[in-house]
Amino acid sequence: MNFLKRIIDVRGWKRASKTAAIVIMAAVALLAALSWVNVSEEEMLQSASEEMQEIIRQEEASSRKYVTVTYNSFGFIKYLSFSTSGAKAVKETYIAFAGQVYPADTGFLKFIGQMVNYTYRMLGSGQNILHGVKLTILLTTLSMVIGSILSIFLALGKISKNKFISKISSAYVFFFRGTPLLIQLFVIYFSVPVIFGFSWRGLFAIGDTEAVYKGAFLAALIAFSLNAAAYCAEIVRAAIQSIDKGQGEAAKALGMTYGQTMRHIIIPQSIRRMIPPLCNEFVMMIKDVSLVFAISLMDITTISKTIMTSEGNYLVFFPALVIYLIITAIFTFLFGKIEKRLSVYE
Amino acid sequence: MSDFEYILRTEKLCKSFGHLEVLTDVDLGVKMGEVICIIGPSGAGKSTYLRSLNQLETITSGKIYIKDELFLHREHNRTIHRIEPDRQKAMLLEMGMVFQSFNLFPHKTVLENVMIAQVLVRKKSSDAARRLAGEIINMVGLSDKLDAYPSKLSGGQQQRVAIARALAMEPELMLFDEPTSALDPELVGEVLAVMKKLASQGITMLVVTHEMGFAREAADRVIFMDQGRIAQQGTPQDIFQNPEGERLQQFLQSIL
Repeated sequence: MNFLKRIIDVRGWKRASKTAAIVIMAAVALLAALSWVNVSEEEMLQSASEEMQEIIRQEEASSRKYVTVTYNSFGFIKYLSFSTSGAKAVKETYIAFAGQVYPADTGFLKFIGQMVNYTYRMLGSGQNILHGVKLTILLTTLSMVIGSILSIFLALGKISKNKFISKISSAYVFFFRGTPLLIQLFVIYFSVPVIFGFSWRGLFAIGDTEAVYKGAFLAALIAFSLNAAAYCAEIVRAAIQSIDKGQGEAAKALGMTYGQTMRHIIIPQSIRRMIPPLCNEFVMMIKDVSLVFAISLMDITTISKTIMTSEGNYLVFFPALVIYLIITAIFTFLFGKIEKRLSVYE
Repeated sequence: MSDFEYILRTEKLCKSFGHLEVLTDVDLGVKMGEVICIIGPSGAGKSTYLRSLNQLETITSGKIYIKDELFLHREHNRTIHRIEPDRQKAMLLEMGMVFQSFNLFPHKTVLENVMIAQVLVRKKSSDAARRLAGEIINMVGLSDKLDAYPSKLSGGQQQRVAIARALAMEPELMLFDEPTSALDPELVGEVLAVMKKLASQGITMLVVTHEMGFAREAADRVIFMDQGRIAQQGTPQDIFQNPEGERLQQFLQSIL
């Protein structure tokens, strides 16, 4: 721990480390700034070799197309020309950076180009909100919001003096914490429609090409919310019970009802104590959401697995890891801010 | 002036926790305008008595009258009679309580602490609540701390806010549960000064305290409790100048 503290305490660093850190940060900032200098799409498409340009020109005359061109806004471009037999004949890859186009068929640039391309696909760029990082963040946030609202009721149920209510709430928590999340997801996605005679896809307009994804998303949202509620209920219960008994007594002595006491006195105070464990739960949830690969939703994990099978590149998981790390870091930072804001009175 | 004899009266009030009997047959009547101090060794049941009055503890048996009306009658842990719920709340509001550990709401400012119950319970407009809160906070001498959070106040200031919070409900009777016991000695004075001010304004008070000086000076009647019973009662003079009974003499000797 002391070691970590020394690292975090910037003022205690040696001069050389400070300089190095500043140089690295400046370099990163410079590279980031340069990467904003984009090449236009036309410029990129002109980057192909003589041979490839010749093939493209010939194709314009014929009706059969043998060249595919993929291009994305991260400055990654790929030409694929097939021979009539269907085998790859000519393949060229380029990367644009800081207004220049570089060939990226071999070596380090090839690696960078691939990673940029994969990252781009995992971010779900060009796709709707139900793809990639957008899906992960949307599903996590919505599930946690719905889950934590449900969990307040569950927690109040658990500490209720009414035996029936408290038993029901405890049973709920026991069930959802005692079974695997993946099976809960399967039950809601596969079993529930069978039992009640509907289909998730059917809930959306016929002819909606995204109906499958929307249906799966809804099922996943329900499963994750119910599961998050069970885990958060324990957090909320602990936070409520950690509030000094005198607070409730003072409220009662002032004539407040149970509901008023909870709403105005106990819950507002316990929320600040819930934030750190809820942040923990949130971070767990970001990673749990990768289970949606089992119901064919295209989140980061599903996309990286798809890329691995289709391109045979086993390094695809590294950008996936980095993306997860960045998401987690951002949310941890946000929760820290919220906690600080809620601590004004302490 | 009032159409009742006692603002609060208990008859044969008993309270036990399991087998431990804490209060035995406590009979006490509080008249309007009276300041009563309850003294006695710790474990004598003084706080429990106060807490059973405003229903923070449920009594085992006995009767509680508020304004000469039977509020609660219990025998052997069974409720024989309880006043109808809608009047019960109004009657409990006749009692304001000040706790040993202040129990201010830490997430509310001083002003909000004094306002919140007026708005939620008395259903006042926030303007009216703010006006009254301002007056009362001024009376306890904290008008420069309106927007401070309790954690920024000293113990004595916090307790004065707690007194203001209870007063803002305009109760007929104030219950003080060892209001100065959690304070540093140099802060006791400011809280006692506020309490003396209230006493001189004719507010009815029931005070559990270890501050004999306060009891001697401000009380109309002093009650000595021992082992869950009222062992002795009388004017401050009776109790402090000419103490009768061995237990009282022992107690006074140990504390003075």
